[in-house]
Amino acid sequence: MMHIEEALNVIFGNKIRSLLTVTGLIIGVMAVIAIQVLGSSMSGALNGALGNMTDDSFIIFPSATQANAVKASVTRTDLVQLSALPNVKLAIPLVAQTDLVRNGHLQARYFISGDPVEPFNNAPLQFGRRFTQEEIDAGRHVAVISDRAYKKLFPGGGDPVGQSMYVGSHRYLILGVLSTPKQGLIQTNFGGDVSAPYTTLLRDYVHGQRIGAARVIVKDSSSMSLTEVAVIKTLRDLRGNQRLEYNTFDKAQLTKGINSIFGVMTFVVAFIGAISLLVAGIGIMNILLVSVTERTREIGVRKAIGATRTQILLQFFIEALVLCGIGCGIGLVLGLAIGASVNSFAIVKLTGYAPPIPWIQAAVTTLVFTTAVTIGCGTVPAFRAATLDPIEALRYE
Amino acid sequence: MNNSSTVIDVRHVTKTYSMGTMEVQALRGVTFTIAAGEYVAIMGPSGSGKSTLMNVLGCLDRATGGTYLLDGVDVSKLGDNELAQIRLKKLGFVFQGFNLLARTDALKNVALPLFYAGVSAKNRNQAAMDSLAEVGLADRARHKPSELSGGQQQRVAIARALVNDPAVVLADEPTGNLDSKTSAEILALFGRLNEGGRTIIMVTHDENVASHAKRILRMLDGLIVSDAPPVRSEAALP
Repeated sequence: MMHIEEALNVIFGNKIRSLLTVTGLIIGVMAVIAIQVLGSSMSGALNGALGNMTDDSFIIFPSATQANAVKASVTRTDLVQLSALPNVKLAIPLVAQTDLVRNGHLQARYFISGDPVEPFNNAPLQFGRRFTQEEIDAGRHVAVISDRAYKKLFPGGGDPVGQSMYVGSHRYLILGVLSTPKQGLIQTNFGGDVSAPYTTLLRDYVHGQRIGAARVIVKDSSSMSLTEVAVIKTLRDLRGNQRLEYNTFDKAQLTKGINSIFGVMTFVVAFIGAISLLVAGIGIMNILLVSVTERTREIGVRKAIGATRTQILLQFFIEALVLCGIGCGIGLVLGLAIGASVNSFAIVKLTGYAPPIPWIQAAVTTLVFTTAVTIGCGTVPAFRAATLDPIEALRYE
Repeated sequence: MNNSSTVIDVRHVTKTYSMGTMEVQALRGVTFTIAAGEYVAIMGPSGSGKSTLMNVLGCLDRATGGTYLLDGVDVSKLGDNELAQIRLKKLGFVFQGFNLLARTDALKNVALPLFYAGVSAKNRNQAAMDSLAEVGLADRARHKPSELSGGQQQRVAIARALVNDPAVVLADEPTGNLDSKTSAEILALFGRLNEGGRTIIMVTHDENVASHAKRILRMLDGLIVSDAPPVRSEAALP
């Protein structure tokens, strides 16, 4: 296409001016793309860190600020009732305890979590297996330990399965070891360092009816929030008190919270983008108008030899498009470079996750910028060029 | 001019400009015909209306009154886009200041009208090359205007005017920016083109330049006051 070739001639015929013209656009696009890459990295990293958290269960606990907190506490009998609700697969006590874990002379205080067959942290295992339903039913002293606990208690390495360790005063048989989580400077560890059958922990640590909190495993995780409402209603009905307050916590809520933070960030980026678009667009339009005036005579000649208004309009519009395209392209490359380097120097170090660069999102942003700026600031100069009177234009010195 | 067909037929053409409240009559009723193959000079002092007539003939401007048939087409009432098409297909312009695109080489300058006519790149370049050869600049095709002399630039401009095979070539003071030697070359080129059958209309205020034409229309105050062949003071010269 000759128009594009001519546009490139004009743009590269005056490199410094062209570069200065699109500087605003380059900076604007660069900033937006860089923030976009970082935003997507951070949300990707957080979601990656949450990846091992189970999404088929939620935790329910009484609100601690209410006067009836003790009355609201979940009891052993509640669990039986809750397990009978539709969409509830199993309601188990949430037993979580910090205790001293020992292997010979090596010891550390760890968070002990009571789990069913489906653990809260479903990271893959590097050694052994998880406990079975039979071991849960029998309340055996068996445990799956985290990689961190494994490194602390078994510094010599090797397969620890079949060996035993002490949790508090009880001896536990080690069944398996979770694999190394991807981890950076920010610790993301869900579930405890020691996972044991919930029945075992319930027997060893909880005395009496009141358990406090429960973990409810659902059949269909898509209707989790409805089930949460049903569970709260059941607990209130069982106590005959509709004013009792319960809180629930699940992965969807956590993800929603994180995503709403990134939603605000996206809005801010869009705002910055809109402003830089406006400022860059005004600068480009100004230069294009100057360019049309400078080339009045050329436009006159083109018209004299038979160019129609549409052809002149197209020529200047394509020139604006190529100019904006080059500016946005440079901005895209710089933005991706900044985003990717901050990504590899900071995000990966902080979280241990290397999220992918959002290529498509960045490309779409660039296209939108190019189109918007071209239409916004190329139309008026192109129209002015197209409607010049050829006689006046030819006379222009 | 005998039996040859008429390419320009101007009847009672008037042109009035309004300058604020005042009306200026640049053309007060001009009537003449030009046949295919003629070489006509339009002369007159400044303000005589010769530039206005040139603009009307070149379809850059519309007459206020009268009719203008160009190659059989009444162009008096055409719209902007139709006039652009007429300029593209039937007219070739040569300007005083050459008016080539500075960033573009000679070949592309010559090919420009064909681009607007929608001719494919390959055919464009072939026709532009032929046209450059016609003005003797085939070996300068890849030079930019800044790398060419004034005379060469004007020859490129003439090649551009010829590339669409127009019915009429309109030249507005084509030698105005050239020294006498180069002017002679350009006028010789016009002479050759006319021998080859081209219809040429040239606006000038220079008697010597006009004397190369075969017919001179003299204008004064918006009217044609004389229509005659040049007086050959040096009749011996070719």
